[in-house]
Amino acid sequence: MSGHAITTLTGATFEQMVLQGEGPIAVEFMSYSCAYCAALEPVLQQAAGMLAAQERIFRINIGNDEDLAESFGITGTPTIVLFQNGSEVGRVDGPEPDLNAILAELTQPFAA
Amino acid sequence: MTPILLFDGDCHVCRIIAHWIERSAKQPSGPPSIIVQAIGQDPAVLHALNPTLDIWAAYADPHVLMPDGSMLRAGYAVAEVFRLLPNTRWFAGIFAIRLFGKRPFQTVLNAGYVVLADIRPLLGCDSCGRPSPWVRPLIWLANQIKALTGRPPKTAVRHFTHLKKTPAKALPLSP
Repeated sequence: MSGHAITTLTGATFEQMVLQGEGPIAVEFMSYSCAYCAALEPVLQQAAGMLAAQERIFRINIGNDEDLAESFGITGTPTIVLFQNGSEVGRVDGPEPDLNAILAELTQPFAA
Repeated sequence: MTPILLFDGDCHVCRIIAHWIERSAKQPSGPPSIIVQAIGQDPAVLHALNPTLDIWAAYADPHVLMPDGSMLRAGYAVAEVFRLLPNTRWFAGIFAIRLFGKRPFQTVLNAGYVVLADIRPLLGCDSCGRPSPWVRPLIWLANQIKALTGRPPKTAVRHFTHLKKTPAKALPLSP
């Protein structure tokens, strides 16, 4: 099920890639033990592939980077946090594993 | 090499079962008959155990990694665990019995495994995903009973696993 459209970040690389990153960036806070994340994974990989030219999508494994999740007030997985030039502009708690819904949620905050 | 059972360490029910297996696998002399190991969060660790093992697949069903490099999953992994444990191996041969080219007892075990896997959300597994359609009425009923007894019901079904603020109690699992 694993794909390559989404890069996994760690607490050490998060600041450089996201907070100092330019343009629209989505970060999925997930855990491999979360069945909802497993259901979302193929859909998110597909969406990441489709949006590759306009938006970068990363993931943070909260099992390894719990402190980072806590600093962003993440209360559950999967949660997708959307950043524009390093600032949070939106988030989605528990997105439906539906491609059209995910595409809308990943792009809407940047449309304005 | 000893067979390795991989299990979901974030699932309360799975941890209880894994703990029982680990205790049962101890032998008076020599190493345990099976090593019980939580899957963890690092895909590379699983690749080192078996290059074809995907971490998402590992979390979907229990896997037993055999010394010859093969993998057994779901009901077949359960049967193998029964075969490996000293106190259950006496009846485990039943799952290998063939009748008319089929293995009826293995089929029953596979079905039993599916039922157990499906009802894990009822037994308190918050990370096990959206309950199967046949389990949802039971969860609704459990919530009604909780409401009657004054306990807060679980929130409505969402695609979300709530984080636990207190880490799960560690069990002394090997290695």
